[in-house]
Amino acid sequence: MTNYLDALSVLLLVSAFILMGNKRTGSYIKTFQFQSALVALLTGIIGINSFAEEGRVDVLIIGAIVVGIKVLFIPYLLKKTYAKVAYRVEKDFFLNIPLLIIICCFIVVFCYYVLSETAGINTGIINNQMVNSVSLILIGLFFMISRKKAIGQIVGFLVIENGIFVTALFAIQGMPFIVDIGILMDILVAVIIMGMMVFRIDEKFGSINVDKIKDLRG
Amino acid sequence: MLIALQNIGEHNNLFLAAVLLYLIAAVIALALTNQHKLCNLVTNSICMVAALIGITAAIIRLSTDAILAPVTILKSQIPFLLLEIKIDHLSAFFVLCLSVLALCVSIYSIGYNAHYYQKRNVGFFNFLYAAFIMSMLMVIISGNAIFFYLSWEAMSLISYFLVIFESEHEENRRAGRLYIIMTHLGTAFLLIGFMIMFAYTHSFDMFGSSELIPETAKNLMFTCFLIGFGTKAGVIPLHIWLPYAHPAAPSNVSALMSGFMIKTAIYGLIRFVLCYLQVEQLWWGAVILCIGVISAVLGVAYTLMEHNIKKLLAFCSVENIGIILIGLGVSFIAAAQNNDFLSSLALVATLLHTFNHALFKGGLFLGAGSLQYATHTKDIEKLGGLIHKMPVTAVLVLCFSLAISAIVPFNGFISEWLIYQALFLNINMGTAGLNILSILSIAALALSGALAAAAFVKLFGISFLGLPRSDHAAQAKEVPIVMNIGMGILAAFCLIIGIFPASFVKLADRVADSILGSSVAETLQPGFLSATVPLTVSGNSIAPGEVLIALTVVILVVLLMLRLFWGKYQARKYGTWDCGFESINARMQYTATGFSKPIRIVLSILYRPGRKVVIEEGESDYFPKSVKYKVWTESIFEKYLYSPVIRVLKSGSEKMIYLVQTGSVHVYLLYIFISILALMFYNRVV
Repeated sequence: MTNYLDALSVLLLVSAFILMGNKRTGSYIKTFQFQSALVALLTGIIGINSFAEEGRVDVLIIGAIVVGIKVLFIPYLLKKTYAKVAYRVEKDFFLNIPLLIIICCFIVVFCYYVLSETAGINTGIINNQMVNSVSLILIGLFFMISRKKAIGQIVGFLVIENGIFVTALFAIQGMPFIVDIGILMDILVAVIIMGMMVFRIDEKFGSINVDKIKDLRG
Repeated sequence: MLIALQNIGEHNNLFLAAVLLYLIAAVIALALTNQHKLCNLVTNSICMVAALIGITAAIIRLSTDAILAPVTILKSQIPFLLLEIKIDHLSAFFVLCLSVLALCVSIYSIGYNAHYYQKRNVGFFNFLYAAFIMSMLMVIISGNAIFFYLSWEAMSLISYFLVIFESEHEENRRAGRLYIIMTHLGTAFLLIGFMIMFAYTHSFDMFGSSELIPETAKNLMFTCFLIGFGTKAGVIPLHIWLPYAHPAAPSNVSALMSGFMIKTAIYGLIRFVLCYLQVEQLWWGAVILCIGVISAVLGVAYTLMEHNIKKLLAFCSVENIGIILIGLGVSFIAAAQNNDFLSSLALVATLLHTFNHALFKGGLFLGAGSLQYATHTKDIEKLGGLIHKMPVTAVLVLCFSLAISAIVPFNGFISEWLIYQALFLNINMGTAGLNILSILSIAALALSGALAAAAFVKLFGISFLGLPRSDHAAQAKEVPIVMNIGMGILAAFCLIIGIFPASFVKLADRVADSILGSSVAETLQPGFLSATVPLTVSGNSIAPGEVLIALTVVILVVLLMLRLFWGKYQARKYGTWDCGFESINARMQYTATGFSKPIRIVLSILYRPGRKVVIEEGESDYFPKSVKYKVWTESIFEKYLYSPVIRVLKSGSEKMIYLVQTGSVHVYLLYIFISILALMFYNRVV
């Protein structure tokens, strides 16, 4: 079991790197979809495990909801938003892609360094699952910083959420049912609201480049 | 949370009852907002009852030696938040001081607040008024540093709202802003002091021992307390808020603020430095003495230049705080040298002057309120001749002016005399440097006394004597009798303490005895008349009662001699020669500006006076159409100390806000990212 989980955590990290390497807004959404599928798979594995050992079904239900919301519905919403506003191709990042990838590598090394001696996480050997999932959170945040367009911020935000969700799964086999449900609902609402904001930004500035919001400063 | 009103000791419950009564008064004031007259009457009556209870409780407490157990008002699960009352002799003395003042001011307010009826929210005003007295009471009786700090902050905030109560004037809002900034600056220093205290002792108990605190930390704590309490007391150069805030507040509130609120800082210095830290360093006392001297001399110097009656009184408060600090400084110096007797004597003098100042400064502010009530102006250049219109107020203000100028037989003389005694004694025992300091302090004290007398001659002479200088002054009427009763009680106290000082010295002596373990009152010998008690210390003795009798006798003898040698006095009625003008009018009188001119010239290095004469030419050089003469003085502290600091702060913040607040979402995200990384790194390293 641990092997599967290790492999999945590495795959999640790789998906984050792929996301960072994406150039087109459309491919952000596809990569996010892929990542969410991995999260759903992970939830499924842990859910089956907990069902087999303790007879709990809540993690399985969560997995099904993740598939419904994160793998299907949110990418669908994002694609719709994107289709309406993306009429122009422009450079979307401040630094070039190779540099961003190298910084991401440093983030992973940093997480390894920080978590390698944190009490309560490591049992004898260093807990790679935790390192990878915490790296996922930080890369998500860094992704938000590195992209100019509002869609990039939304996807980065969702990646952070994925990271937190996965960290909770690895650390304590999932949070209480009600908390997970609540978070998923929040995410859904947040994406809907952010989608609307993107429309507004596009209307106002003729672009969804977040950098232009600077003009609002008094 | 558990509310426990423990039934320990009757006296403590009396203090608690006073606090609760003020609270009830505040709530009732809010409930009766719509009926202005009733609200005012009820609130002030309850405050009077509370003040009477406070006086009784304080006197009972001062006359017993028992150490009372603390009363817990509120115990909570929040760490360190424990509201408890602890009352020792020092607290009781200050409660007495506050209660006497609150009693008189409350009586006065019944009449004074009448000018707010139907114009302002009297209910809210009375709510703030009662809450303000309550917060000051809680500062004095609080049993630990957290409760003290909370009460202190409550007192500052409530007084801020009272300062800006007449907020339609821009200058009042400005005064309030300055006040709240300065007072919070001071409070921040207090907080640092309390935190150092907690860091070493792991307790906020201010009645505990400070043995665990090392010397460096003690020095640091003293500095913090000095700045923190000094700001509230209004010592120079931290006095800047005082001359703005006191005139802005309604007069009955100014009386409380100047009469008692700034004294809470004196209480704090005695409580935390003398009682808690146990003065060990000689320089603590020397610093306080120096600050006291500077405040006394400069305070009175600025007093002379003011024509706004309440601003004048506010600067005079700075002077008196200086005098109080001179006494306190001597007490600290002597305590550091283990000279318990001198330390006690100086502390008695300090406490007595604190008490006296509360009486006469409270009274003077009430008098200023009466003048404002009757004439609607604070500018003494527009008053004059009021002794005919408001005779009772005039006599009372004269009493307070004599008291504050330290003239026999009023109370100001007693305490200043004791401070002189302490300073003289300090010469005999101190080292060379301290001797010089003491001698200079004596000279400075004498100078400030003389200048204060000049300032009050100006205040009284210009406002009450001569002819009215404006229509308002000409149409003034005597104020309602309750206002005069409130002032009258204060004046009576001033006179009684002045003639029978022994009993009041004994009250203060019990405080000094309990803190320093050395009683002074027994060494002050009784006099030959039962009514007079000379305060004899090492040969420099004087009996206020005897001086009074001697004074009366001398005046009578002189009158008798005049009668004998020059015959019967005959009144003659002639027109006064008017220099060829048509008739004598009010503008030919001496003005306040003219009165203070010699001093403005002598001390021009301090005032930096400037003047401007604008002459509108007429037909001939000798008959100009109009002449405008304007004279002004500069405040060197505002110009050379505060303005540069404010300028640097302002330009720095303006630059900073554009540097940090770029408006870019990415930069804000970057801040979050970097702080998360930093926190993770910190967690790893530490």
